[in-house]
Amino acid sequence: MDCPETVGELTEILRRGGYLADRGLATALFVSLSLQRPILLEGEVGVGKTEVAKVLASVFGRKLIRLQCYEGIDAFQALYEWDYARQMLHIRALSEHQIADTDAVDKLFGPKFLLERPLLEAVRAGDQAVLLIDEVDRADDEFEAFLLEVLSDFQITIPEIGTIKAESPPVVVLTSNRTRELHDALKRRCLYHWIGYPPAEREIEIVLVRAPGVSEALTRKVVKAVNRLRELDLAKPPGVAETIDWVRTLDFLGETDLGAQIAEDTLGAVVKERDDLDVVRDNLEEITSGA
Amino acid sequence: MPERIASERTALEPTASERTALEPTALERTGFVSVLVDFASELRSAGLAVGSGDILTFCSAMSPLDPSDLLDLYWAGRATLVTRRENISVYDEVFRRFFLGGADPIPEMLTLKAQVTAEAQAVLEVPATDPADGGHDEEATLGLMASDAEALRHKSFAACTPEELAAVRRIMARIRLTPPTRRTRRTRSAPSGRAPDLRRMMRESQRLHGEPAQLFWRRRRVRLRPLILILDVSGSMADYSRNLLQFAYSAKRAAAKVEVFCFGTRLTRVTRALDHRRPDDALERAAQTVFDWEGGTRIGDSLDAFVRDWGRRGLCRGGIVVICSDGLDRGDPGVLAAAMERLSRLSHRVVWMNPHRGDNPNFRPSTLGMMVAAPYIDLTLSGHDLSSLEELATLLPKLS
Repeated sequence: MDCPETVGELTEILRRGGYLADRGLATALFVSLSLQRPILLEGEVGVGKTEVAKVLASVFGRKLIRLQCYEGIDAFQALYEWDYARQMLHIRALSEHQIADTDAVDKLFGPKFLLERPLLEAVRAGDQAVLLIDEVDRADDEFEAFLLEVLSDFQITIPEIGTIKAESPPVVVLTSNRTRELHDALKRRCLYHWIGYPPAEREIEIVLVRAPGVSEALTRKVVKAVNRLRELDLAKPPGVAETIDWVRTLDFLGETDLGAQIAEDTLGAVVKERDDLDVVRDNLEEITSGA
Repeated sequence: MPERIASERTALEPTASERTALEPTALERTGFVSVLVDFASELRSAGLAVGSGDILTFCSAMSPLDPSDLLDLYWAGRATLVTRRENISVYDEVFRRFFLGGADPIPEMLTLKAQVTAEAQAVLEVPATDPADGGHDEEATLGLMASDAEALRHKSFAACTPEELAAVRRIMARIRLTPPTRRTRRTRSAPSGRAPDLRRMMRESQRLHGEPAQLFWRRRRVRLRPLILILDVSGSMADYSRNLLQFAYSAKRAAAKVEVFCFGTRLTRVTRALDHRRPDDALERAAQTVFDWEGGTRIGDSLDAFVRDWGRRGLCRGGIVVICSDGLDRGDPGVLAAAMERLSRLSHRVVWMNPHRGDNPNFRPSTLGMMVAAPYIDLTLSGHDLSSLEELATLLPKLS
């Protein structure tokens, strides 16, 4: 892969991949790529944290390896696992044919019986991969310790085989929704960037890039309305993903303008909480008026 | 090719386009690094945990970037030296003071100019931050004094002398809180269970020439539920709040996962402040964090803020929320009711400790706040003296 030489170049590459990064994010990614350090992205829901990894994979022609974290995920689901069923069958076969010498036993814990899980897969793929560790805050905190070796040295130690090290490290992107505080040991191994809501003009651009074919006038109105929604003190303010959804919904319905009526009918695309719906319905005229 | 950049360009060589403008000598290079180090130590004295390794990363991050570009400097520093969102404002403030303030020593050779890079956002906006309040000094002297523990046990905190309070606190530190447990998605090996433990069977069978002679099982692991303490530190609770904070401190040391919040007019998270080992330091730090110590009370707004900023993100999911307050709310009762409703839906159980309840078993909530909140509370306790705190400790494990 050709690593970009400047921040501007990276911004341009990402833009071609359909992702508009602001200066802060572009710089953080640029540093992460140059120093080969993992990057931890935090931010509001729906601002494109996960998208960063997907776009990086596609613009640099790498394979995206995704590890979705969840409660109870453990080393065997994230790093590697032995194929026990095959091992047992193999042992039976060995004993029936009376060929259980040391060599055969060694093979039992060789690469043949090793099941790759995302982290091992990423370490083996090296710089051919972008590793996305998604929503790391959903995993319980003990799990973070499994990640430390991978994140700092890009290697995995398997007691039976030895240490497997990436020849050139993969790009690693971690995302977190801050449902809990991540451990400092994990944070220290990563660069950190907070992604906020983009300014209105940029958001319009983003929508037009992500949903090509929709009218700019409609987009402009929707973005304006969404920005008002964000000012409304909702329990869950709409993210950029919601803006795109809303524009797509309206476009699909053949609407060219955002009136109060159609806004109410399609509100489900942006507001996804009952309490918020009440608040928004009361202010619907105002939200759509200047649009 | 990242390696190429790192090896070919030395620490501060400008990019090709800049080379004509500025050709740094070796002296200037070391000079720039020392500026970066100074900046980092400035951040450190502002309270950020910046290690030498972080500074090293910062300096190497600047090598492929343009050192004379303020935007690069700002973002590279932010990506490498800041690890949590709360620290961004501190970083902004120090950055502004250090690089934009002018008063601070910046070597003259570093003429910083914000450059317009073709397509990226070119305006550096360092958001204004509130000047940090010095905070209030909280004296938490723990004198050594022999005292009759049994008598103290039922004496209301409000009626205690300072010496007695000190004794109370020492006893309090020994109360062990055990929150109820829940089953997690993680499993452990067990004599019986639902799923077979293949890993273990494989290991055992090797000793028997591959004969899987014995069955092993995995069973779901059990874990303590998180405990969230939300303490009222407003004027009406002043007599109790310091003790409650002390209680929170010992609870934090005793139970596995405890989060502590304080509120008066607004909500403040003090969990981190309580991380210090000595109770005095912890209380001092906590007191400095809570700006509205003994101010007014806005329970509804504070709980609403808790639900919005912390609860929704999952901090109290499946947890036990303990609120200590007298329910004297000066805000809108509707807000309190809505916040309590959401809180009860987000958490496993809600416990309300109201010191004004005292030992009266026929206590009826007289404040509007308490009445509004009552339908969403699973358990009401008093929390005005030691015995009631012990009661909480006994009842807690049964709240599953």
